[in-house]
Amino acid sequence: MHKNGFFSLLFHALFVTFIVAPLVVVMAMAFTSKGYLSLPTEGLSLRWFRALADNQEMLDAFALSIKLGLASATIAALLAIPAALAISRYDFPGRGAVTGFLLSPLMIPSVVLGIAFLRFFSLAQIGGSFWALTLTHVIVVLPYALRLTLASTIGLERDIEHAALSLGASRWTAFYRVVLPRIRTGVVGGWMLAFIQSFDELTMTVFVATPGTTTLPVAMYNQISQTIDPLITAVSTVLIVGTLLLMLILDRMVGLDRVLIGEGK
Amino acid sequence: MAFLTLEGIVKTYGTFRAIDGLNLEVRHGEFIALLGPSGCGKTTTLQSIAGFVQPTEGRIVLDGRDITHVRPEQRGLGIVFQSYALFPHMTVAQNISFGLEMRGVPTAERGKRVDEALDLVRLAGLGERYPKALSGGQRQRVAIARALAIRPNLLLLDEPMSNLDAKLREEMHIELRAIQRELGITTILVTHDQVEAMTMSDRIAVMQKGRIVQIDTPFEAYERPHSPFASAFLGKTNAFAGAVQLRNDRCCHVQVHDTLMHVPHEDRTLGNDVNVYIRPEKIRLVALGSGRFSGRVRLRVFLGNLWLMAVESRLGLVHMTLPNLGTPPPEEGSEVGLDWSDDDLRLLDREVAHGQV
Ligand SMILES: Nc1ncnc2c1ncn2[C@@H]1O[C@H](COP(=O)(O)OP(=O)(O)OP(=O)(O)O)[C@@H](O)[C@H]1O
Ligand SMILES: [Mg+2]
Repeated sequence: MHKNGFFSLLFHALFVTFIVAPLVVVMAMAFTSKGYLSLPTEGLSLRWFRALADNQEMLDAFALSIKLGLASATIAALLAIPAALAISRYDFPGRGAVTGFLLSPLMIPSVVLGIAFLRFFSLAQIGGSFWALTLTHVIVVLPYALRLTLASTIGLERDIEHAALSLGASRWTAFYRVVLPRIRTGVVGGWMLAFIQSFDELTMTVFVATPGTTTLPVAMYNQISQTIDPLITAVSTVLIVGTLLLMLILDRMVGLDRVLIGEGK
Repeated sequence: MAFLTLEGIVKTYGTFRAIDGLNLEVRHGEFIALLGPSGCGKTTTLQSIAGFVQPTEGRIVLDGRDITHVRPEQRGLGIVFQSYALFPHMTVAQNISFGLEMRGVPTAERGKRVDEALDLVRLAGLGERYPKALSGGQRQRVAIARALAIRPNLLLLDEPMSNLDAKLREEMHIELRAIQRELGITTILVTHDQVEAMTMSDRIAVMQKGRIVQIDTPFEAYERPHSPFASAFLGKTNAFAGAVQLRNDRCCHVQVHDTLMHVPHEDRTLGNDVNVYIRPEKIRLVALGSGRFSGRVRLRVFLGNLWLMAVESRLGLVHMTLPNLGTPPPEEGSEVGLDWSDDDLRLLDREVAHGQV
């Protein structure tokens, strides 16, 4: 880590440039005073941020996406914990099949899922509700939550749980006081990934979203397919800055490297 | 009246019998070692007592109460795991306090009992550390303190020393034994280390293929093994294959190669295939021509307190040990005389030995 050679530095510099440059350009464009997409060459303006604040549709979509992300990530994480514990602990018949099934949305194209859900909801007549949308997102994000939770339960020693039991803890107490703290980073990491996936999901959601349940990506997509005004860059800027702040806070609280890379201590 | 009784315990995994009809009676306050090679079912036995493994057949009775189907959290046993299984996210004091909390001990008393437990294992003052910040030996003491803090009626130890270096292990043997005596707590130790079993236990239960093949005091088990397996497992021994040639009511004469060895206090059928055993330390080095045998020194190794020698004789290669008394024994290649007392010879049927060593 300490001896970064010339090529290593060059590589990192190029990498960062290619990742960051588009973001910087988008953010810069948000401050234009013009009515079309352009870099703010003739003075900065907060015009498009004001337009965003007045755009109720966009704000509703944003709130819905947050709510949807929180709900689906939380449900997925709660389902992932017992599933991961069972998969890593017991060698039950059909274990491979269950694991495959739970991770399968990762392998099914989102378009296919979207069409399937659309058909299903119209048959079952439950389309257009928040919980129907949540259900679809839980299914799409569960594999992400499960992947990371599994990573932390697979190496988990059975002994410490046994030790807790032998000391008189009930099964629930042993889980809550001893097992959960050990797999916390995996669960939190899985939750975060699930939230991001849900917040970000467009391909499947466009099929099932209705005027009452428009998520932010769908609203943004609708926006740019109708007009090309810099409002979209203002939304993007808010998202980029918001994500950055969230990352900083999470890093302070749990340590991002530990959550995303694994137990580093 | 036994404090702990295991009655006909069987545990099968598919068709494999990990424990195969095991019986054991442990007296109150006794220290028992379960000794046997890897895979003989020691851990499975201990886990059955702890309640983490449900025996396929048999009964476990603790202090008059049948606990065969009692849940582990209701058995009230103290267990020290091979991995120590300390809770890494809790401090030493919190680890020890956990069991007390589960028992509803009031906070003030908990603190007192944590301190007592730490004193007992000589770790006073380390309560605020996390397990990560402790050495292997200290972690092990915490594990012992945590198990003892709940004042269990039975202490179970699964190879508790196997992660410690040799010197620390010796210290812990003596210390753990002292603690066990002081508290008078009934203890079962699982180990495959015969020295560990001998130094700590009142009785050794030698296990083979899911059964206890002999249970005796360390001295008896070492001096009078019931089977070639037990004999080979408890320390080194010389084995000579032979056949019974002559017998009377006081001894057997066994033909080994061209030599007749007579083994007192043994009675065998004529012609029986047997092994004659003698421990290396029971063989003496004597002046050439004055002992029962003579031979040529093949190997001479200095171990500090002992000399290890291998002597080529008419009986084959004979291993012996000599205490280091200040003068080195004859060098490799020299002719020496060997002697022993017939009382130190042991006789076991070879068919028992079938498939062994
Ligand atoms: N869950 C299981 N499924 C199948 N076989 C098992 C299981 N647990 C143990 N066994 C088998 O039972 C036998 C006894 O295992 P056990 O762990 O009791 O051995 P041990 O005497 O403690 O050995 P070691 O000294 O290596 O710890 C072994 O052959 C092992 O492979
Ligand atoms: Mg074992």
